[in-house]
Amino acid sequence: MFHLLQTNVTQTVSDASSAGSYFPVGIQLLFVVGMIGFLMVVTHLLGPKRHTSDKLQTFSSGIESHGDARQPMAIKYFLVAILFVLFDVEVIFFYPYAVNFRGLGWSGFWAVLMFVAFFLCGFIYIIKKGALDWED
Amino acid sequence: MNALIFSAVSGVIMMFSSFLLNNKNSVRVLAHVLLLATIIANIFELRGISFFHIDTRGMLEFDRFALLFTLVANVCTFAFFLLSSRDLEKIGNHYSDYFSLLFFILAGIVVSSSFKSLLMLFLGIEILSIPLYILTGSDKRNLKSNEASLKYFLMGSFSTGLMLMGIALIYGATGTFQTGITVAEKVPVLLITGMMLLLFSMSFKVSAAPFHFWTPDVYDGAPTVVTSFMATVVKAAGFIAFMRLFAEEFGSIRPEWKLLVGIVAAVTLFIGNITAVFQQSVKRMLAYSSISQAGFMMLAIYSLSNDAKEGLILYAAAYSLATIGIFAVLVRMKDYTFEGFNGFAKQQPFLAGILVVFLLSLAGIPLTAGFLSKFYMLKATIDGGSLALAIFAVLMAAVSVYYYFRLIQSMYFKTGNATISGTTTGFKYTLAALAGITILLGIFPNLLTNWLYF
Amino acid sequence: MGITQILFWILAITAIFSALMVVISKNPVYSVLWLIVTFFTISGHYILLNAQFLAVVNIIVYAGAIMVLFLFVIMLMNLNKETEPQKSKWLKLAGAVAGGCLLLVLVAGLRHTEKQMTEMVTGDIGLIQNLGKVLFKDYVVPFEISSILFLSAMVGAVVLGKKEPRIPVETEMRKVEETQQAINI
Repeated sequence: MFHLLQTNVTQTVSDASSAGSYFPVGIQLLFVVGMIGFLMVVTHLLGPKRHTSDKLQTFSSGIESHGDARQPMAIKYFLVAILFVLFDVEVIFFYPYAVNFRGLGWSGFWAVLMFVAFFLCGFIYIIKKGALDWED
Repeated sequence: MNALIFSAVSGVIMMFSSFLLNNKNSVRVLAHVLLLATIIANIFELRGISFFHIDTRGMLEFDRFALLFTLVANVCTFAFFLLSSRDLEKIGNHYSDYFSLLFFILAGIVVSSSFKSLLMLFLGIEILSIPLYILTGSDKRNLKSNEASLKYFLMGSFSTGLMLMGIALIYGATGTFQTGITVAEKVPVLLITGMMLLLFSMSFKVSAAPFHFWTPDVYDGAPTVVTSFMATVVKAAGFIAFMRLFAEEFGSIRPEWKLLVGIVAAVTLFIGNITAVFQQSVKRMLAYSSISQAGFMMLAIYSLSNDAKEGLILYAAAYSLATIGIFAVLVRMKDYTFEGFNGFAKQQPFLAGILVVFLLSLAGIPLTAGFLSKFYMLKATIDGGSLALAIFAVLMAAVSVYYYFRLIQSMYFKTGNATISGTTTGFKYTLAALAGITILLGIFPNLLTNWLYF
Repeated sequence: MGITQILFWILAITAIFSALMVVISKNPVYSVLWLIVTFFTISGHYILLNAQFLAVVNIIVYAGAIMVLFLFVIMLMNLNKETEPQKSKWLKLAGAVAGGCLLLVLVAGLRHTEKQMTEMVTGDIGLIQNLGKVLFKDYVVPFEISSILFLSAMVGAVVLGKKEPRIPVETEMRKVEETQQAINI
C-alpha cells in the first residue's frame, strides 16, 4: 500500500522542493494547535463558572435580542461569492504558469492569453450586467 | 474543431448581444445567423476543410462519426431555434443569455462527441450539463421549475461524481486518460469497477432505467421550450458520448459489460413504455417516451456494429426532429393534457396532419425516419447475437403505439375545443419542412448515413 | 514504521473520521466544519505525495472559497428544527445497503490490485513546476476548453442570481393607479 507515498520524508529534508521541507511547518502547526488547545483547556479548568440567565443571553450590544438568527439572506451575497470562486480558480492557474514562464515561451503565453481573454469577456459581461451592483 | 470554436465564440457574442442590440428581434436573428455559420463551418470540416489547425495532442479526434453527429445536433438546434426561439422570450428577461447558454451546450456536445481522452469526456459532459441546470431553473418565479432545477443539479452532480470516480479508477488501472486501452488476459478489477461507475453515470445522463427517476420531474418542471431541447439534442449527444466511450475505451472488454447493457436496455424499454401508457399530460407522456426511445438507443451500445453507428445517427436525427416538432406545438397549447388536444384536427387540420407524421415517426411506422432507425437498431441487435432482446424491443415498440395513437385519437376522433395561440405561417411551413425531412429520411436514409463514408 | 507511514495513518484515520462526521452530524453547519477538517487532511495527503501546490490550492479554493459558498447555501435555506424533513427508516436502510455494497466492491477491487500498477516514476510529478509544464503543454486543450465551462457558469450565475428588473409589473401598477385616478375624477 505504501508505494503510494512518493517520498521518504527523513531523507529529503535538505531538498527544497520536497515534502520533507515542510517538516518545520508541520512542527509549527503542531505547536500552534497544541498551544491553542492547551490554553482553552486550562482556562476552562481554572476559570470560575457562574452561569446566570443574563450572562447566557446572546450578546447584541445591550439591546434585547428577538427573532431568529437564521434569517434567509439575500441572494446578492451568494452571487458575489460564486463569482469570487470563479475568478479565484482563474488566478490559481497563473501560479504554475508563472513558475514556468520562461520555459513555456510564446506558446504558453498565447495559451494563457486566450484563457484570460475568455475570462475578461466574462468580467466585462458581469460588470455590464450589473451583477456586482449592490443597490438595485 | 470548426464547430467547437464557432459555437464557443458564438456563445460569447450572444453574451454581449444584449448590450449592443436593444431589440429582441435582432438578438434572435443574430442567434440564427451564428448557428447557421456554425453549421456551414461544420459542413466544411466534414468535407475535409478545417479552418483551424490546432494540435489537440490526441485529446480530441474529429472523425466522421463525431462530425456528422455534430452536424445533426446543430441542424436540430437550428430547427429548434426556428420553431421555438420566440417562446424562449416568455421564460424571463435574460433572452440573449439563454441563447449563449444554448451555444455553450453545443460546444459541450462537440467536445463530448469527439473525445479521445476521458478528461475531455468529463469536460464535455460538464459543459453540456451546467447550462442545462441553469436553463431548467430559468423560470425563476415558477416553483416547479426551481424544484426541477435543484433536483437535476443535485442528481446530476452526484452522477458526475460517480463518473470522476470511475475515471480515477481507470486511470489507476491503466495509467492513462487516453481511450483505446489494450488489456492483457486478466482484466484488472479496478478497470471493471471504473467501467461500471462510468456505465452508471452515463446511464444517468441519458436517463436509462434504473437511473431515470429524475427525468419525468425535471422534464415536466422545466420550461417547455427547454424540455424540448434537453429531451432531444442533449440526450442524443449523451448517447453518442456513451457509444464512443464504450466502443473505444471498453471495446476490448466487451464480454464484461454486454449482458449488463442488454439488461439496462430491456429495463429502460419496459419502464419507459409501460409508464408512458398511464400518463394524462402530454408533456409527461413525452418525458416517458423519451425514456423508452432511450431504451432503443441503448441497443446501439449493446451491439456496437457499423449498423449500430449508422442507426444511432439516424435515430438521433429522427427522434430529435419529431420530438422538437411535437414540443413546438405543445408549447403553444393552452392545456397540456390529452383532453387539451380534443378536436384539434377540426381547428388546425394542417398542424394536426404534421403532428400525425411526427407521432408516426416516434412510434416507428414505415415510411418515416423513426421506422428505419428502429429497424437499424433491431438489425444490429440480431447481428449482435440477441434475438430475444430484439423481440422484446419490438413488443415494447408495439406498446408505444398505444400512447402515440392516443394523441392522434384525441385530435381526430374526439370533440372539444383545443386552443392554440401564436401560429404564424412561417411556423407552419417550418413544421411542414421538418415533417418532410422525417419522411424523406424514412425513404432515403442514405442521404444522411452516406456522410459517414463519403 | 517510518515517519511518513505514521503521518499517513494519522491523516487517513482523521480523514475517514471527519468524513463520517460530515454525514452523521445533525447540524448542517457542523457538517460543513467537519468537511473543512476533511479538506485539511486531504491536503496533508497531497503533501505526503509531494504535491504541495495541490495541497495549497485545495486549502485556498475548497476549504476557503467553496466552504464559504456552502455556508451561504445553508444560511439561505431556512433550516430550523421544525422544517427538517423526516426521512423514513427504510430509505436510510436502503442507502446504507447501497453504500455498503459500493464500499465492498471498491475494497475488493483495491485488494486485488497489483501493486506496481500506477507507481509513478519519480516522486516529483506533483511539484508546481512539473505540473505547469504538463498543464500548459500536454493538457493545454482541456485547459482552454475549461474556460467555456467557467463562462457558462458566469452566465448562469447572472441568469439565476440577478434580480429581475420588475418593469412590467411596475408599468402595470402605474396603469392601475391611473385608472383609479381616472375613476376618482
